[in-house]
Amino acid sequence: MGSANTVSADERRMLREALRATFYNAYGAAIGLLALYTVPVLLIAALLCAVRIGRPTARPLLRWVRRLSEFERGRLRRIGYQIESPYHDPDPGPEWTLRSLAADPDVRRELSWLFLHATWGLILGLVALQIPVTAVHDATYPLWWYAVGPAEQRLLNGVVEARTWGTAVIGPVVGAAVFALWLIGAPKLLDLQARPGRNLLGPDPDTDLSERVARLTATRAAALDAHAVELRRIERALHDGAQNRIVGVAVLVGAARREVHRDPGRADEILARAQDAVEQSLAELRAVVRSILPPVLENRGLEGALSALASDCAVPCEVTVEVPARCPASVETTAYFAVAESLTNVAKHSGASRAEIEVRLHGGRLHVRVTDDGRGGADPAGGSGLAGIARRVEAHDGDVAIDSPVGGPTEIRVELPCGS
Amino acid sequence: MRIVIAEDDTLLREGLGLVLRGEGFDVVASTGGPEEFLAAVAEHRPDVAVVDVRMPPTHTDEGIKAAVEARRAHPELAVLVLSAYVEESFATDLLAAGAERVGYLLKERVGRVDTFVEALQRVAEGGTAIDPEVVAQLFAQRRAGDPLERLTPREKEVLSVMAEGLGNAAIAKRLFITENAVHKHIRNIFFKLDLAPDDQTDRRVAAVLRYLESA
Repeated sequence: MGSANTVSADERRMLREALRATFYNAYGAAIGLLALYTVPVLLIAALLCAVRIGRPTARPLLRWVRRLSEFERGRLRRIGYQIESPYHDPDPGPEWTLRSLAADPDVRRELSWLFLHATWGLILGLVALQIPVTAVHDATYPLWWYAVGPAEQRLLNGVVEARTWGTAVIGPVVGAAVFALWLIGAPKLLDLQARPGRNLLGPDPDTDLSERVARLTATRAAALDAHAVELRRIERALHDGAQNRIVGVAVLVGAARREVHRDPGRADEILARAQDAVEQSLAELRAVVRSILPPVLENRGLEGALSALASDCAVPCEVTVEVPARCPASVETTAYFAVAESLTNVAKHSGASRAEIEVRLHGGRLHVRVTDDGRGGADPAGGSGLAGIARRVEAHDGDVAIDSPVGGPTEIRVELPCGS
Repeated sequence: MRIVIAEDDTLLREGLGLVLRGEGFDVVASTGGPEEFLAAVAEHRPDVAVVDVRMPPTHTDEGIKAAVEARRAHPELAVLVLSAYVEESFATDLLAAGAERVGYLLKERVGRVDTFVEALQRVAEGGTAIDPEVVAQLFAQRRAGDPLERLTPREKEVLSVMAEGLGNAAIAKRLFITENAVHKHIRNIFFKLDLAPDDQTDRRVAAVLRYLESA
């Protein structure tokens, strides 16, 4: 490996990967431990059900199994496997029998996973934890072996006895070898541990096609709904904004024409107001167009568009965008709009000296975060753009969190599903 | 003439006030919402109310509801409703309680000050003022077998101008025909729509109503 200065980027990356893998292996072992305790409880409940007194336990137990499998789905998501939940909640129905439960593919698959993860998954997790511990133990052996009792004077996880200096100095060699093994093997162990979950926790490939259709129909309806919301927003923006302004102009011009002969000075005054109103309506039209699809987004992508927003902002603004691929245009537009509105608020109300924009694509969702060090107290009900942000984000099935205590700082977080 | 305005857009509210005051009307109150408007009508007892259709809180048809409500509470009140676009259900809602002292115009007509003032005066004197755009839309939706289908194109034209609320002389001027011809067309219209001479109802109003109701 060489000295610390010459550790290459590759080796550092391997170390990081191995640490991460071991962490998630340990997390998996924790879920495995819960699963291990669940197995006997399920067996007892099944016995009690066979004599009919255990029936009320079925629903909560199935829910608990679902909860455990959701933990596992979450873990798998974080190590890069997107696993969809089964279509319906675990509900045995009023007339269930042990046989009908066993015939339900979702239940069967989840219970199979539970059993595999309680055994295989738990063991793999413990092994993955043990290897780095052994590596450190053996590598440091010569430093402390003489201080412990003869029963603990062993190497390689207790397999080899080492009770003399001659054998103790083998420790660092063995330790280095085990460490190398860990570096290479940890990601593979994680992969093995994830396998039952990947195979069993997704929707059953044989699931009734009609349920798939139902789910697709629901998501499609949601998409159409979002579309309708968007159209309504545009209609409202045109109607109550630009159109009203232009009608106002027509009225003012009418009034001015009547005054031209009676009082030219007054007519001029009215015409000046009409001109103001035309300019306002142009600004509003531009804003509506921008809100439909900001041209800058089309030309320069999300990162370029947000940088442009930041440089236009009166408050100094730092932008971090980590989005490797382009998201759907509607998602990018919504993210852009949320940042634009947030920055408008920062500039107008916060009195902040600096702001920060962070956008990341993570687990199929676009995470947007806008923070400032201003006086806080932003209120979505207060007529600021916050309500508008919420409306648009919700139309995309996203989430908005606004944290703005009086006295600051303000943090606005938006999460948008990116439809991968 | 004393007028109350209900319009939530500030620019338009001021513009309306400007036009009406410029023409010598007495604008006694300018309001921005339906409740405020009803309170102002109850307090000032104006001759005419000018009401915008879209007002808070939902910006859909609050203005129509407020206008209908005001007409019920104060039958002598003339109401002129302004709308950013033509919606014939608004017109029928508004005319359900009779076509007297009612107007329904597109907002931009206010800019043509003399026609607007004319319509306002007509409504205040007990007449009707329906926007030509509304009338055109109603004609476009005529169904087959409708008694109105029996009218000749010229008679339809006369009826639609009549629906705007114009009198015989004004109709003649608008359509470039003699008053005598107008008279003849109107007689034919009454006949084809089965409106027999009767002292109880104004046949002109009845014809317009039949025309609007069958939309």
